[in-house]
Amino acid sequence: MLGLRRWRRPWLGVLAAIALMLPLVVSKPFAIDIFIRVLLFAFIGVAWNLMGGYAKQLSLGHAAYFGLGAYTSTILQIRFGISPWIGMFAGGMVAMAASLPIGAVCFRLRGPYFAISTIATAQVLMLLFLKFRDFAWGAEGTTLPNLGNAPLMMQFDAKAAYYYIALALLAIGLAITYRIERSRMGYYLMALGEDEDAAEAIGVNVLRIKRQVYLISAFLTALAGTFYVQYIYFIDPNTAFSFNVSVEAALVSIVGGIGTLWGPVVGTVLLEATSALLQSWLGSSHGGVQLTVYSLILIAVILWRPSGLLGVLTEAYGRIAYAGPSREREGPLDG
Amino acid sequence: MLATVAQAIVNGLLIGGIYALVSIGVTLIFGVVKIVNFAQGEFVMIGMYISFFLATRFGIDPLASLAVSMPVLFVVGILLQHFLIRRVLALGDMPQIFLTFALSLLLINVALLLFTANYRTVQTPYTEMAIHLGPLYVAVGKLIAFVVAMVLSAVLWVFLHATDLGKAMRAAAQNRDVAMLMGINPDRVFCVAVGVALALAGAAGSLLMPFYPAYPLVGQVFVLMAFVAVVLGTLGNVTGALIASLMMGVAESLGIQFVGADSGLIVVFLMLLLTLAFRPSGLFGGWTR
Amino acid sequence: MAEALVVRNLSKRFGGLRAVQDLSFSVNENETVALIGPNGAGKTTSFNLITGYHRPDAGSVLAFGRELVGLRPYDICAHGLARTFQVARPFGKMTVLANVMTGAFLRDKKPEVARARAREAIDFVGLSAKEHVPARDLTTIDQRRLEMARALATEPRVLLLDEVMAGLNPAEIDQAVALVGKLSQRGLTIVIVEHVMRAIMAVARHIVVLDHGQKIAEGNPKEVVANADVIRAYLGTGYVHVATPGEGRC
Repeated sequence: MLGLRRWRRPWLGVLAAIALMLPLVVSKPFAIDIFIRVLLFAFIGVAWNLMGGYAKQLSLGHAAYFGLGAYTSTILQIRFGISPWIGMFAGGMVAMAASLPIGAVCFRLRGPYFAISTIATAQVLMLLFLKFRDFAWGAEGTTLPNLGNAPLMMQFDAKAAYYYIALALLAIGLAITYRIERSRMGYYLMALGEDEDAAEAIGVNVLRIKRQVYLISAFLTALAGTFYVQYIYFIDPNTAFSFNVSVEAALVSIVGGIGTLWGPVVGTVLLEATSALLQSWLGSSHGGVQLTVYSLILIAVILWRPSGLLGVLTEAYGRIAYAGPSREREGPLDG
Repeated sequence: MLATVAQAIVNGLLIGGIYALVSIGVTLIFGVVKIVNFAQGEFVMIGMYISFFLATRFGIDPLASLAVSMPVLFVVGILLQHFLIRRVLALGDMPQIFLTFALSLLLINVALLLFTANYRTVQTPYTEMAIHLGPLYVAVGKLIAFVVAMVLSAVLWVFLHATDLGKAMRAAAQNRDVAMLMGINPDRVFCVAVGVALALAGAAGSLLMPFYPAYPLVGQVFVLMAFVAVVLGTLGNVTGALIASLMMGVAESLGIQFVGADSGLIVVFLMLLLTLAFRPSGLFGGWTR
Repeated sequence: MAEALVVRNLSKRFGGLRAVQDLSFSVNENETVALIGPNGAGKTTSFNLITGYHRPDAGSVLAFGRELVGLRPYDICAHGLARTFQVARPFGKMTVLANVMTGAFLRDKKPEVARARAREAIDFVGLSAKEHVPARDLTTIDQRRLEMARALATEPRVLLLDEVMAGLNPAEIDQAVALVGKLSQRGLTIVIVEHVMRAIMAVARHIVVLDHGQKIAEGNPKEVVANADVIRAYLGTGYVHVATPGEGRC
């Protein structure tokens, strides 16, 4: 069992190879669409997880940054002709800037009240964008001009291209999470997630760390927003700031394994698979079924396995692996 | 001009009464059980649907249906505490938040499946009636709702301060461990607290039916207001929640009157911001930390 | 000898309760001072005031000449003042090593350095064998050791220990006393809140006695134990009688 760590790398290689080859093997657009959804929401989940999973700052308003990213790149593209590649980055910057005042207000509250205030911020943004006809098209939203195959403007004929972009985003998110986990910030995030006061007592500048992780989380979420607009060629306030986005961002991490690297990915695969199954059984006419099932899953997870699927596996792994003498480990859960 | 302001204030107070019922429930659960009930709005929704069906099937006036919605939701509250909430109490913040949040999602979507998203309304003889007090126009439905809300709040106050069970609840809210040492059974107290809170939510629903439509998402509006009122009025403070709710009702009403029709949420958020900036522990909070 | 910690006129009310009233005492560098008093005397509140968890209504706290009042707990820790909590507060999900590393990170960002320093602290308290155990799986006494290791990893100059001996059996008390002695040998200034007389007598050169938030006595162990006010505070008036020199109770 001590060798477990050594054969993690090959597994990763296999996974990466599968991920890279998937669109070449499975070419049905319907399937690729599902894969893209999984990759995208796993990415959003990873972004959320940094804040909500490790630091236990349960934001239910991440759609705010999703929407800001989406709108920034769209406005820059349509009004100023700027490429969404740049717009994506600009959206990230806007989201980061927004996270500062929002954080300043919301971090004054703890626990559930923090969550509520984040919900409120996303709602307020939605309302603002519903009103702003002048530069943001108000309630009707807008469609993106279809430029055919225009890679420089992030538009592609081949669906697979979107798949690879989403894959790249997810890879970036995972890489960032991996680096943070093993750095001082990772330890600080976990510590403050466990016990803020005790963390302060040993020198953790809790407020600063919260602010920093929020910046990162907001930035990444905004990237997802831009991607989504480019993928569906449409934006409006209800889609961009949708509460469902906020919920799913949190849900996938909780179900899959809160505060773990792969948790959001596992959670997304599970939830999207469930969703796809439901759609094929019941058809998409039953509006409330998907969320009903999601919420039942969530309740079940909370009552029986609050640390999420991966949490269970990690705990089991821990019990097996640490039976031996100590070795050089890497992260806050291993030492 | 003065008349417009006065009218806005009156309207605000009236709806504030309903907000009070919802927010008192939230703050009661938070104060006693130390958990935030994200699903409180959904119980208002349930109350509304109960009244709706009693009205359309049996012709029972929504006000009379209080006699059904309140006890039913009281029992639901006891079951909720005993079977669900109790199991997550020891688990910490995150599972608690997500439990009631998931419950909220569940109830909304089940309602969507059962009743569809259509607005359901009830017409009563007094739905369109209004009293004229000078230049002021007071909708009878809303007035009745306000009066009943105040009566219920007063009854709750008496319960909390003058009965043994109520005092036990306050004791458990202040210090659970010591209360246990005094022989107070926390689970029993919690069940009653949740039951009462949900009964109040149900009452709010029934009272709303004469002048407000029922639909699956209706609770979301009220719960957001309620949460801000709870923060504003200091977490766990029942009187605070009442006063804060009235204040918010007025602020929202003035906002709608003078700023714009959908400025309600912005007003709410502004109030939240101001509270957090200047008095994070709420208007009635003592020391923080 | 430098004054490591100077507390002057510290006061704090909570509503109607005057938790700490006009408390003043000082601790020299490398000294070990015990803060004792009956329950509710304000000992832990004093710690909370000194370490920034509550803001005092009045008074000042100087650590090596620097004013601490108004600073956040993490700044105070950065200035060299560490504390343990009466009820251990480990980061449950994280391993022992990770817990202590979190403290070590205060002084150096690099994980390898923090890890090495953390290992030293863990070794000092005797938890090396349990390095990779998640903190929530530790026994209570090991969690206390962890508290201490974590505080030590921040490389404090002044260490505030809040009832570390509570609930220990005599053998364990001896171990804990030895640990405190070793800390003192390394040059640490220590302020210890304790009820266990035996431990206090063994480690403290100087004792400050609190009752109802006020300092009622101060001095070396022998003086304090014979002090009429101290006896009255702990046992009531009936137990006070004039003690002749040599008639000490321990």
